[in-house]
Amino acid sequence: MLEAGLCNYVVISYGDNPLSAGGMPSVFMERAGNEAIFGHSGATAGYALAARRAMHTFRTGPETWKHIAVGQRKWANLNPKAMMYGRTMSFEDYYNSRSLVEPFRLFDNCLITDGGRAYVVTSVERARDLARPPAVIMGMGQHNPSYDVQQATHLAGSTGAKIAGETAFKMAGVSVHDLDACEIYDCFTYTVEITLQDYGFFGPGEGQDWFKDGRIEPGGSMPVNTSGGQLSEAYFMGLTPLTEAVMQLMGRCGKRQLGPQTNTKVPEIILCNDNGGILQTHCCNILRRL
Amino acid sequence: MENLKPLPKVNADTRQFWDGCKSHELRFQKCTDCGHIRWPASIICPLCHSDNTKWIVASGKGKVFTFVVYHEAYHPAFEGDLPYVVAIVELQEGQHFLTNIVGCDPGEVRCEMPVEVIWEDVTAEFSLPKFKPAQ
Repeated sequence: MLEAGLCNYVVISYGDNPLSAGGMPSVFMERAGNEAIFGHSGATAGYALAARRAMHTFRTGPETWKHIAVGQRKWANLNPKAMMYGRTMSFEDYYNSRSLVEPFRLFDNCLITDGGRAYVVTSVERARDLARPPAVIMGMGQHNPSYDVQQATHLAGSTGAKIAGETAFKMAGVSVHDLDACEIYDCFTYTVEITLQDYGFFGPGEGQDWFKDGRIEPGGSMPVNTSGGQLSEAYFMGLTPLTEAVMQLMGRCGKRQLGPQTNTKVPEIILCNDNGGILQTHCCNILRRL
Repeated sequence: MENLKPLPKVNADTRQFWDGCKSHELRFQKCTDCGHIRWPASIICPLCHSDNTKWIVASGKGKVFTFVVYHEAYHPAFEGDLPYVVAIVELQEGQHFLTNIVGCDPGEVRCEMPVEVIWEDVTAEFSLPKFKPAQ
């Protein structure tokens, strides 16, 4: 639309009140159809089915996921807007959180949030005049395996991240080695692992070592979900990761800003993504600072 | 008011399946062009798009593809069942089927574990195919 001259600015927004309205569980149960007769409904159980299959296929489980939950919480502790800003999490806290749908504990789950996010897309030409350097789209890719969880054979990879990622990297002309940070759709801890694995950061099961020693945390070599993400900041669907990538590139992130104050590299290129259904849709975006 | 578990929602595509369950038979559609056995029931084959179909009776044997253990009920009628197992079973005929694993401790369930169908007659109209460890 922008390139065709039909408009000059596009606002993409999301807002919802599932926390105060208490709508999520009832919506999932209504949609569950004939799966509900077996007591099955909702995203937690759907992704837990995927995570269990992954545990059978390669070396993964809570020993890997604890690094994701705890690492992202450290970012949230630097973000006054995060729902979990004032609450730290240790590995012990992670293991002690109650089991919801095994293999997932409470702290493997994202938050439920009232609120919203929005971003504005315009031409690079217009954006050049802005007070802060804007983020530019370098590459994008989509891939949608679409099969319902019941028939899916991609639950332990390759998910849509593989082809969506390859497409975005090719368009951007960069590789994982060129990225300064990642903002990954993190409905559950396992989603972060399988997404990074399918993008090629590590081989199947190597995540348990890759996430160790604070790699994704403040001061780490590959910061991931620097707002705290959906696990520890707020759940605004794909707009949680995307808006954080944009704000980091624009230098608007306060105490959690990537750069010297968090002992990380000043970001030039950030990957962000969205994912839908039970690993059924995937969109990858690679952004850079203008 | 008693909080009842949901019952199957039957439509023109799935009527044969649920009628089969009533007779304790697992019936699935088989594409007579490409041979693919499918679930959920549908008017065309998801692989080759043919609408030539016959119904077959499955053996009721398979293995656990993946599973979860519910420790929280998202529908109040299932609270008394906690902890309970929801699994995707890969049937001998090839298709996957979402169901419960019963007849063993949830801690004993494993991926690839051989299982077989066991029928739960929930009303005069409906029997549910659940699975238990194979003998």
